[in-house]
Amino acid sequence: MKIDVRQITEGEESIVIRYKDLTPTVSRILSILGDEGGKLWARNDEEKIQIELEDILYLESVDDKVFACTKDKTLRVDKTLNSFMNEVADGAFFRCSKSMVINVNRVVSLKSLSSNRIDATMEGGEHILISRRYASEFRRLLKGGDQ
Amino acid sequence: MSDKKKTTLWERYLTKEIGIEFKACLYFFAILFFYCVFRMIRGSFEASILHMAEMILSCYAICYLQLLLFNNFDEADRFGAREYTGLAVCTCLYGLISFFGGWFERKPVVSLILGAYVIFLYFCVFLIYKTKRRIDDKVLNEELKIFQTEHKK
Repeated sequence: MKIDVRQITEGEESIVIRYKDLTPTVSRILSILGDEGGKLWARNDEEKIQIELEDILYLESVDDKVFACTKDKTLRVDKTLNSFMNEVADGAFFRCSKSMVINVNRVVSLKSLSSNRIDATMEGGEHILISRRYASEFRRLLKGGDQ
Repeated sequence: MSDKKKTTLWERYLTKEIGIEFKACLYFFAILFFYCVFRMIRGSFEASILHMAEMILSCYAICYLQLLLFNNFDEADRFGAREYTGLAVCTCLYGLISFFGGWFERKPVVSLILGAYVIFLYFCVFLIYKTKRRIDDKVLNEELKIFQTEHKK
């Protein structure tokens, strides 16, 4: 990849990235740039856009593809759930099952279920099940412990 | 979740085992109470150790069956076909074991009364777990609000 760095003395600072395919390297660069201000790069069918982390209700992995769901849209994210949890240093996100990460700040209510599972109702009205394996960790997080 | 915090197979087995043994003891003491009342009504103040051993072993086995086949129906969120089947099968098993084990002098009527008593026990345990979960709901939602307030600061 050709890297063109120019120092300027006046005008607005900008970064232009020209790519043919969204390779992991490009994704990593975008995620580094996107990390500032709690934002995440995601894409829909036509374009690549930045979404605020706090707008995300939950992330779901379906067939090795990760989707971020906000109140009104679902966007594809070029990360795995593990890399998202490692890169995003926001304590509000919790891995609630193998295929889901929820934004605890966007949970409206919780319901205790049998076998120590928890049902989380999100702002959009979706019910997300926190499996038994992750429920104790979730309780610890609510009590103020780290993940 | 970090590897340190992941529960091991042994820990998961132990949690399950403790749950089963706790429940086996609960049902054993309830059935033992029924047995003692029967013995006293019959004018005897002695209990057979063999009967007691049969009771605890059958409670343990039936609790395992409850967990493996009927998804712990006495802890269920609501009762459906699977839960009712579990209730019927386990109640019948207690009745049959008590009859063939001679716990109540092989009187079928007393075994039937034991069956009704076991159904009552299951209902009580179901209500206890339901109440426990309702209290847990309150605690969870209070903690959630505190978490959200503190995290948004």
